[in-house]
Amino acid sequence: MRTQRRRFRPGRLAASLIAILVAAAWAFPVYWMLNSSLLPNTVLTSTTPRFWPWGGSLDNFAAVFAEGSFWPALGMSVAITLTTVVFCLLFAFLAALAISRFRFRGRASFVLAVLFIQMLPAEGLFIAQYKLMSSLSLLNTVTGVSILYVAAVVPFTIWMLRGFVAGVPIELEEAAMVDGLSRTQAFFRITFPLLAPGLVASGVYAFLQAWNEFTVALVILQKEEYRTLPLWLRGFVQASASRATDWGQVMAASTLVAVPVIIFFMIVQGRLTSGLVAGAVKG
Amino acid sequence: MTVLSPAREQAAAESVLRRRRRPFAPYLLLLPTVAILLLALGYPLVWQFWTSTQKFGLAQQFGRPPQFVGMANYVQLFADPQTWAVVGRSIAFCLINAAITVVLGVLVALLMNAIGTISRLVLQVAMLLAWAMPVIASMTVWIWLFDWHRGVANWLLTAAGLDFTNHNWLEQPLSFYFVATVIVVWMSVPFVAFSVYAGLTQISEEVMEAAALDGASPRQRFFAIILPMVRPVLMIVTLLQVIWDLRVFAQIKMLQDAGAPTASTDLLGTYIYRLGVGASDFGMASALSIFVLVLTVALSLFYVLHLMKEDS
Amino acid sequence: MKKMLSVVALATASALALGGCSSSAASSPTATDSASAAPQNITLWLAGGDTPDALREYLKTTYNAKTGGTLTIEEQSWGDLVTKLTTALPDPNNTPDVVEVGNTQSPTFTNVGAFADISDMYSELGGDKLLPSFVEVGKVDGKNYTLPYYFGSRYMFYRKDIWKAAGVEVPTTLDQFNAAVKTIAEKNPKNIKDFSGFFLGGQDWRNGISWIFANGGDLAKVDGGTWTSTLSDPNSVKGLTQLQDLYKSASHAPKTMTDQSVYLYLNDSDVLASGDTKTKTSLAAATVMAPGWAHWSIGDLVKKDGKEVRQWNDKTFGVFALPGNDGKPAPVFAGGSNIGISAASKNQAGARELMKIIFSAEYQQMLGKNGLGPANSDYVSSLGDDEFAKALIESASNSKLTPAAPGWATVEASGKLEEFFQKIAEGGDVATLAKQYDDILTPMLNGK
Repeated sequence: MRTQRRRFRPGRLAASLIAILVAAAWAFPVYWMLNSSLLPNTVLTSTTPRFWPWGGSLDNFAAVFAEGSFWPALGMSVAITLTTVVFCLLFAFLAALAISRFRFRGRASFVLAVLFIQMLPAEGLFIAQYKLMSSLSLLNTVTGVSILYVAAVVPFTIWMLRGFVAGVPIELEEAAMVDGLSRTQAFFRITFPLLAPGLVASGVYAFLQAWNEFTVALVILQKEEYRTLPLWLRGFVQASASRATDWGQVMAASTLVAVPVIIFFMIVQGRLTSGLVAGAVKG
Repeated sequence: MTVLSPAREQAAAESVLRRRRRPFAPYLLLLPTVAILLLALGYPLVWQFWTSTQKFGLAQQFGRPPQFVGMANYVQLFADPQTWAVVGRSIAFCLINAAITVVLGVLVALLMNAIGTISRLVLQVAMLLAWAMPVIASMTVWIWLFDWHRGVANWLLTAAGLDFTNHNWLEQPLSFYFVATVIVVWMSVPFVAFSVYAGLTQISEEVMEAAALDGASPRQRFFAIILPMVRPVLMIVTLLQVIWDLRVFAQIKMLQDAGAPTASTDLLGTYIYRLGVGASDFGMASALSIFVLVLTVALSLFYVLHLMKEDS
Repeated sequence: MKKMLSVVALATASALALGGCSSSAASSPTATDSASAAPQNITLWLAGGDTPDALREYLKTTYNAKTGGTLTIEEQSWGDLVTKLTTALPDPNNTPDVVEVGNTQSPTFTNVGAFADISDMYSELGGDKLLPSFVEVGKVDGKNYTLPYYFGSRYMFYRKDIWKAAGVEVPTTLDQFNAAVKTIAEKNPKNIKDFSGFFLGGQDWRNGISWIFANGGDLAKVDGGTWTSTLSDPNSVKGLTQLQDLYKSASHAPKTMTDQSVYLYLNDSDVLASGDTKTKTSLAAATVMAPGWAHWSIGDLVKKDGKEVRQWNDKTFGVFALPGNDGKPAPVFAGGSNIGISAASKNQAGARELMKIIFSAEYQQMLGKNGLGPANSDYVSSLGDDEFAKALIESASNSKLTPAAPGWATVEASGKLEEFFQKIAEGGDVATLAKQYDDILTPMLNGK
């Protein structure tokens, strides 16, 4: 192991360099958002771009907070997103298990149906979604939006997790059972850790989908006090027909919307790589 | 891959038997998913099919009884050359974007796998930042970057000696799609990279080391070991990219709103929106949605068959 | 600026609220009768943030004082309004009771029966004093469904320094205007690349139609209930030809640009931002056409309370209404909103009370004091007498709306007008294009 690393060091260094460059390229628009959030609107509209926020201030953030509705919108978004992620992962995990570990009648049709359901374009569905939620009296509720979100994200998550479950040879589990573990024990000791990266990857995906979703929320959450963060953010862009949009404030608000995602990722990112450790079990 | 001992083989056979004895178990596992899909998508799906056979506009939404027109919406849709222009552009846009995204995503995932913890974390955070940025924010920033008058893109190109002062990127459809591709790829690569990277971590290091010791070149290792291992994930990620890129909406809509020739830049997503929300012709919008569904199935048929075969 | 305005508004509102409560309570005993059965809690949807907070407070307190019910105001953003109206308005359990809609959106929704018939209140709410073109788009078969809420209209913002340097005067006829902006673009006194005498985006039909109107043309005409697109009418073609000439020789705006944020190009942004007058400025035009409220975004860059803001400067900037060739101002596109009662609302009585408050003298004057053109012509003087108010009143006096055709929203949504104007701007043959787009637009206008 050690000798190998030494042998590859120049290549590794080059790879790290490339990685930093790629990271910089990908983060540039994010930097631009942050930079702009610190600058006044008048500077943002000038022809010479200002690359550093020198002379900037936190005024935009202050103004955004002063507007007052950030915290309720944050609460709404957190409630909806967490509900969606938890139920989505749970349902998808069970279903992925069913289709990758069992052979049963109707399996193929289920697999196909799940695959095709996500191919339906959402742009034309809003009237039906509204009518559905109105008849269930679930307009302006966390439950109503979460149901639609889980349904939208679960097909993908099943497929994603199925890939990961399929990546774990069943023989491993069975070998463990021979070694005296129960089926459930074998599953949680052997298979589950190997699935963790997959669960995290799909969890991050589900989180972001729910966090940034906009169209469904717009139709289902019609009351101002139930706005999620993307609706709240949109309010800044389209504040008024008669006054110019304050782009500095939009960028400050955007930054605030992105922060919880970063925090969420920081919490789970360790699990993304834990597969490496788990992989050792395989041998 | 793992060589099984006779005892283990026997256990495997037993567990298969046990599975046969409990036929209801998989249905139980599927129950929550099926229930929520039926609840949330059953009615909208039926509504969409039904509406596509009606003359259904705003008046019908406000209570006037809709009129059954059979396939008339579809006939009108297919007779319109604009539909086919949009379909052609969408397919081209989708395939190009999906291909670029997946290739770049795999490369980034391999990169993540090849580097030390610190640089990997930097790369992952950068990718996640891009992924986490709200669409409204990222579109606003990208539109600024390509603005004709005060965009950073023009400013940098001009500073580099090319005269790009007041160059309007959105005026010509091709250059419009170039900008759209940059944005869509930028937004989608993180997801592919993270998924494939998660798949890569399932490959045990020992296998890779053994292969390296056996003298396999990096190229050979990629095609003989890595690719087969991440194939299930890669397949599904590619399929999803195709599905998403075929009906890309928000990015195109917001770029159009920033000032572009709409008719020659419409893709399927914006075209459905134009018919539905814009023109309140929900019958036509539904017909087009159903058509897009069929088109997506057709485009992905190869994949789907492959997935199914692999599955059984 | 925004903050300052709302302070002013608050002061006026509280002053007016005192008088408003007592006078309306005294003057409308019938109103209290009709609503006395049981206080109704109602919801009002306002579009965008254009109605200042003070006015919203006034509506809430007055409604409560008059009926004992609660008024909830919800703000819907302009971009999502149609989606929300489409879903919520037909739903009796969730519909808002009173709704503001864009004036050009009004025909689409009134024609499908989304609004309640309020013909019986028409004279009580102002009658003939209400802005006729707006009343027209709220009417179906002679019945009133929506009424004007406020108006704005478009006029010219120009750079006095550049006009002077190019040696041209503020025009009094349309022909003079056309000539003046061409001269400015030719002379380009500040020697800025791609400088526009008049900045007009290729897709900017909302401003461009003024030239059609000013030459006696129109977008469409109605005959026996059937609408026909009239772009190829000789007068329309004359206007479009003038417009094409402006696109060619006066404007260097991108051919794909609409009427968004044009005021940006009138400011010279970088001078103060970088502290270095030699850097490029963002200045790109000597004249732009925009709704009156654009003046809040035009001006010199100054520091105020540590913030950089725009401050209007009389020496550099000026305004005028686009003149016509007949001594009157040219007919320009009238912006603004209509307001009506949802047909599905279960609180018709309460909703009607709110309409009475909105069309009361107090509230109309509050609108005017906040720079929004009041619906009732009796109160237009409340706009004040500064140059913006003058230009607004002058340009509005002859302003025009888009056709009240049932399919107008379809036309706007189709993007065909943008496409047509862009092709004009790109130098296509006017007569051929006009004919071609008439054929496309006519079926759309009739909601086919």
